[in-house]
Amino acid sequence: MTPPPPVSIDATIAGDGTIALPRPPLTPEDAARSHDRFRVHNARRNGRRWTLLWLLVGPGILAMLGENDGPSMISYATTGATYGLGFFLPFILLTFAMAIVCQEMCMRIGAVTHRGYGQLVLERFGPIWGWFSAGDLILTNLVTLIAEFVAIRIGLSFFHIGAGVAALLGIVLVVFTLSGGRYWRWERIVLGMAVFNGLFLVAAVLTKPNWGTVGHGLVTASPFPGGSFNTLLLLVASTIGATVTPWMIFFQQSASADKGLTPSDLKHGRYDTIAGGVLAAVFGCGALIAGAALFGHGGSSIQGLSGAGFPGALRHVSGNAVATVFALGLIEAGAVAILTISASTGYAVGECIGVAHSFNNSTRKATVFYGANVGAAAIAAAIILIPGAPLLSIALNANVLATVLLPVALVFLIMLANDRELMGRWVNKASTNWVAGVIVVFISLCGAAYGVDSFLQTVHIV
Amino acid sequence: MTAAEQQELVMFLERDQLVFDTSRPVGRLELSRRMSIALWALRVFVVVVSAMVIYTFVSQLTQ
Repeated sequence: MTPPPPVSIDATIAGDGTIALPRPPLTPEDAARSHDRFRVHNARRNGRRWTLLWLLVGPGILAMLGENDGPSMISYATTGATYGLGFFLPFILLTFAMAIVCQEMCMRIGAVTHRGYGQLVLERFGPIWGWFSAGDLILTNLVTLIAEFVAIRIGLSFFHIGAGVAALLGIVLVVFTLSGGRYWRWERIVLGMAVFNGLFLVAAVLTKPNWGTVGHGLVTASPFPGGSFNTLLLLVASTIGATVTPWMIFFQQSASADKGLTPSDLKHGRYDTIAGGVLAAVFGCGALIAGAALFGHGGSSIQGLSGAGFPGALRHVSGNAVATVFALGLIEAGAVAILTISASTGYAVGECIGVAHSFNNSTRKATVFYGANVGAAAIAAAIILIPGAPLLSIALNANVLATVLLPVALVFLIMLANDRELMGRWVNKASTNWVAGVIVVFISLCGAAYGVDSFLQTVHIV
Repeated sequence: MTAAEQQELVMFLERDQLVFDTSRPVGRLELSRRMSIALWALRVFVVVVSAMVIYTFVSQLTQ
């Protein structure tokens, strides 16, 4: 005979004999999340499929388009300018397919456990691994945030606007989106801005590429890039770092939990993640195609990005319209990424310290969360004001550093996704584990190949 | 907020979704010795490669 469940002395027995457990205290964060869930509940009950989809999308698209950030778009465009159309077009599609596999796991863990990645690693594997993960994230986020401000600065400099405005714009955006104390509001503002990532596709179309060559490159992955092996490794590692990064893992899992996703929303969470991946891949290819307009026009030697850079070079080759759209795209890419990356920093710090970490809290209740959000952005903004900073180098190396640090984050993600005690019947399938394992090995090898080759060249061993 | 309003709100959340519940830590997983060694090996690998990347980056800056 099954023993009865333990009952707290506060429990009450209803008239029909059922045991009612005491209701835990309801916080303002719960109340805000419950309002959002009420709308989801209504849409589902009334069979309003499109409304339901609209209500449930967000974290996946934001993670993917947030990763189509300033350094990523510069990296894609640099690749196009250096090698033209060919190998890197299908390579971008491959990396986003890898990103979809990883991000689906994040969404699933967030929806099932209602906890963020940082919190779970800390609690499940202990403080050493938790703080290592948070440390990796904060380091890569700071470098990446600097690169985002760099992207905004490059975009604005095309319109003869200085670095001070770029720094101020980023900070004002972060503060503006944080005000309101609601996850829903923050998410919708950032989604609205992320739509303009499509500017890179517009720029690509305006360069009037040979679509036959684009199609040939996509299907055959050729021509394969020649030239310096180290530059190729840099761009391969940088392209991977432009699609799968530690902050995306922290962000999507925490945002899924903050949004209030539950296991019943997993199907829509997958739609959200796949839609984000497809959009980001298309827009990323757009940046590469736009950059490829410079191939054969000295594209491989474009290093003067501390000035007008890519937009300026595009103006000479493809005209003012392409350059203007590309510059606006860089501003958008940097701005959206500042918001999402700052958010992931806030989530990680709040989760690891164990204090309130939700957009559904007031600034007074979640001071550390909001402080980390603004603080990370403010530090990065201050650094780009340093005159003569090597902007292109920072942008590319930010992605490479993210690639190098990613394997550890991915291994913990896979372990969490296989933790039956946490995930119940929503653990990874064997096929997902195989694919995820191959991704970890591939990313580790690419990051290590660049790191070792560059180091040996720097110390003049090869 | 009245008790009735609270009850109405809370019914749209799963019980383990409440802040009260998510702020309670999940249990610690006991890692096997092999798994611990593998994780530490990966950690060392990542730190070494990161150091190489950072060294290269700083060297490029000073050139």
